[in-house]
Amino acid sequence: MRPVAIIGAGKTPFGAFPGQDLRSLAVAAGEKALGNAHLESSAIEAFFLGNFAGPEFTNQNHLAPYISTALGMTGIPSTRFEAACASSGAAFFHAFLGVASGVYDTVMVAGVEKMTCQPTPRVTEILSGAGDCSTEVKAGSTFPSLFAMIARRHMHDFGTTREHLAAVAVKNHANGALNPDAQMRKAITLEQAMNGKPVAEPLNLYDCSLISDGAAAVVLCAADRAREFSDKPVKILGVAQASDHVALDQKPDITTFAAVRGAAQKAYAMAGMKASDIQFAELHDCFTIAEIVAMEDLGFVPRGRGGFFTAEGGTRRDGAMPINASGGLKSKGHPVGATGVGQLCDLVQQIRCEAGERQLKRNSVGLAQNLGGSGATCVVTILGAY
Amino acid sequence: MRTGTVYTDTVVHIAPERFAADVPYQVVIVKLDDGSRVTGRVEGERVAIDDRVEETEPRDGVPYFKKL
Repeated sequence: MRPVAIIGAGKTPFGAFPGQDLRSLAVAAGEKALGNAHLESSAIEAFFLGNFAGPEFTNQNHLAPYISTALGMTGIPSTRFEAACASSGAAFFHAFLGVASGVYDTVMVAGVEKMTCQPTPRVTEILSGAGDCSTEVKAGSTFPSLFAMIARRHMHDFGTTREHLAAVAVKNHANGALNPDAQMRKAITLEQAMNGKPVAEPLNLYDCSLISDGAAAVVLCAADRAREFSDKPVKILGVAQASDHVALDQKPDITTFAAVRGAAQKAYAMAGMKASDIQFAELHDCFTIAEIVAMEDLGFVPRGRGGFFTAEGGTRRDGAMPINASGGLKSKGHPVGATGVGQLCDLVQQIRCEAGERQLKRNSVGLAQNLGGSGATCVVTILGAY
Repeated sequence: MRTGTVYTDTVVHIAPERFAADVPYQVVIVKLDDGSRVTGRVEGERVAIDDRVEETEPRDGVPYFKKL
């Protein structure tokens, strides 16, 4: 395997964009990433697309060539990856392998989702397809309810409180308020976060990420060629993907995700790093409890301490381990298939010192954790400055 | 009927259309006495973690439980 770098990154704002369809979003992000890499589309040798449910949301299938040809790429391998909310994380991992193995020198990874074209009950139904439809979904489980059951058990086992969950939402909204590309640029109080409309107890509206349209893209190339294209390349220090049962009731302990621990262990090993070497992170806060569990599984805090650490301010931009300085899925938005690559764009922005008011001081090693379903897929990526 | 212990639970307030008439409804993961786990619904009184429950008649292939 040879080292690989990110030489271009670009994403659309996340939000509700009635005037833009799935393809135009993906093309906008792809063009930004190409421009950022100072490359023509003809230089791209393969296209990897992450998308969860384009066919269900928009009726369009065969999405990878549908998008790559619109970007001016013809003849190259173009493939869609589906791994629920980790779809573009999975696309990125496989794109990395393609360059690391020497098969390609230059590839593009994009992620896209167009969700707001469907009414909320239909969105809930489409998203629940990432669970086990023969058991938990048939019984009436929605995605919020699966994470609500994780929260209940985490509270029972470790003393995590409703206030701890709210503290995640308050912190992520405070960060998102400073992000011009975020969907919900609004700070909220602890009291608001505690008293949102119930969704699935103990989770309320403020514990849940948003329904969003959006796209993100990155261009990868062999690290030894990165300087030919970019004066600000970013190194991929480690990346790994792992899996677990789809059904929540098949996991022996739902307060920890085996796929997160597995992917983290491999990504840390590839980077030659440990949790304490990570300076900041973008974690998959599809629900507030997910951020708490993720920081524990990644080894940032001991098991059961994620909620306490958050309430003490440890994950704020001025904390010991800044988490989701972008605003996270909670405030930035969660166009499912775009989220994994979107997180990488956020890391790149921090590492390049381009994050404006959200810029972190310790910004040379960042980690992104992209989760699919209730933990059946996880991709962990560690990026670093050159 | 199978019996077990509530491993975790939630009460769903926002549901897809096909379950909209049922809200609010309680979903549980029950650890059955044989050690296996199953996701089901609760009928009657609400249950909490560690409560003992008994299976009642399944509906449309979905297990239902009630508090013992």
